[in-house]
Amino acid sequence: MIKPLNEFVKQFRTHIVLDETLLVEKRNRYYLLNENLRKYVSSDYLYAGTYLGETRHKGFVPSFPLLNIIAKTDASKVYVDEKTEWLFICGRDIFKRGVKKTTGTAKRGNYTLVMNLRGECLGFGQFLVDSTEKRESVAVQNLLDLGDFLRRERQH
Amino acid sequence: MSGREFFIRRYANLGWNYEDVRASQAVRVNTVNAEREEVVERLEQRGIELEKIVFLQDGYWVRKSRFSVGATTEYLLGLYSIQEAAAQIPAELFTKLEHKEVLDACAAPGGKTVQLANLMRNTGVIMALDVGEQRLQALGNQLERCRVQNTIVYKLDARKAMRLQQKFDRILLDVPCSGNFAADKNWFRRRTLADVERNARVQRQILEEAAKVLKDDGEIVYSTCSLEPEEDELNIDWAIKTLNLKTENIEYCGQKALTNVFGRNLDSSVSKARRIWPDKTQGFFVAKLKRRDHA
Repeated sequence: MIKPLNEFVKQFRTHIVLDETLLVEKRNRYYLLNENLRKYVSSDYLYAGTYLGETRHKGFVPSFPLLNIIAKTDASKVYVDEKTEWLFICGRDIFKRGVKKTTGTAKRGNYTLVMNLRGECLGFGQFLVDSTEKRESVAVQNLLDLGDFLRRERQH
Repeated sequence: MSGREFFIRRYANLGWNYEDVRASQAVRVNTVNAEREEVVERLEQRGIELEKIVFLQDGYWVRKSRFSVGATTEYLLGLYSIQEAAAQIPAELFTKLEHKEVLDACAAPGGKTVQLANLMRNTGVIMALDVGEQRLQALGNQLERCRVQNTIVYKLDARKAMRLQQKFDRILLDVPCSGNFAADKNWFRRRTLADVERNARVQRQILEEAAKVLKDDGEIVYSTCSLEPEEDELNIDWAIKTLNLKTENIEYCGQKALTNVFGRNLDSSVSKARRIWPDKTQGFFVAKLKRRDHA
């Protein structure tokens, strides 16, 4: 059950430790319970504990709580300035000039968490360039951002 | 029996003179995720002015905002929720929520569920029920955004809560109701007394089921955003007389609930509940109930 989660996390060049006995799956959606919740959950629940993400046709789509768990590791991270923070939340990619700091491996094709300067996770993306590249360009392609909550609210 | 004049006359008979008011916007800080002062300061830096609501633990009036308070990084990070001031009252009325088994019987879209989880510091368990598919999705989104960890959601009608085979320490019944004009500008056009009576029937069924799954020393908080006594005082009077429940005193904003409704005398202990006529908040009614045979 944990395989899609691990495969996803690996793309940040890190790993997380989750107690597999507390992981549950329902309709391709994954949840992490705690010892207490495990006593109460029955088979027909819709949502339980901490939502971690779901597998769709295109692959695994993480939840924001999962990205926060990954953010506590040494995963690759880019820290963006305030203007870029909001542009990213609005669905835009990140230009090099908006990146204030990078930690971990900044290599083309790798996944990276996108953080604001307070160290809060705003979403994740994929490096389009290596950190050694000098020219000004899109550095990180937006794959998921917090603005998704607003887009979901609009749908409802 | 419907229409603006009909309802305004009813309110006058209940002792309140109609005023055309709209509730002020309010937010509630999710203190599990952030300190109150930090959120206030961060929003002030964005040009959003907040003012503490004196009768609430974590609530603030939105005094000034250049843009929607639902479109900030802080909101999306779950540091606060947009929640009407009166709607923040019910969850605060429970005593000692941490480590308790809590039922949120009509939970979607989840504002009060998140508030309960916050007051519980994510301990214990909340079983959150609702029926509409879209409303349940909205509930899931709220739980994810606000990083709630102690909630299990079931698609289940509150009138079938016995199916959970569980008794609860605390039960929140924020029952589906007819609403009120301060929260819906088309209210007078849309509502009839028949709607009110239909809703009141469903509410009594929910109360009846809740009494069955309440632990002996448990608490029920019943709330509506309806001004109609059929959904408020008359239902609490019925619960006292039929379900072996008693009311607990509520010291909050608003006024004592009515004990005489259109000439009909109710149990005097109904007055321990609270009726809030629309002003800075929307209209609201809240009652706290316990088993009669328990201290």
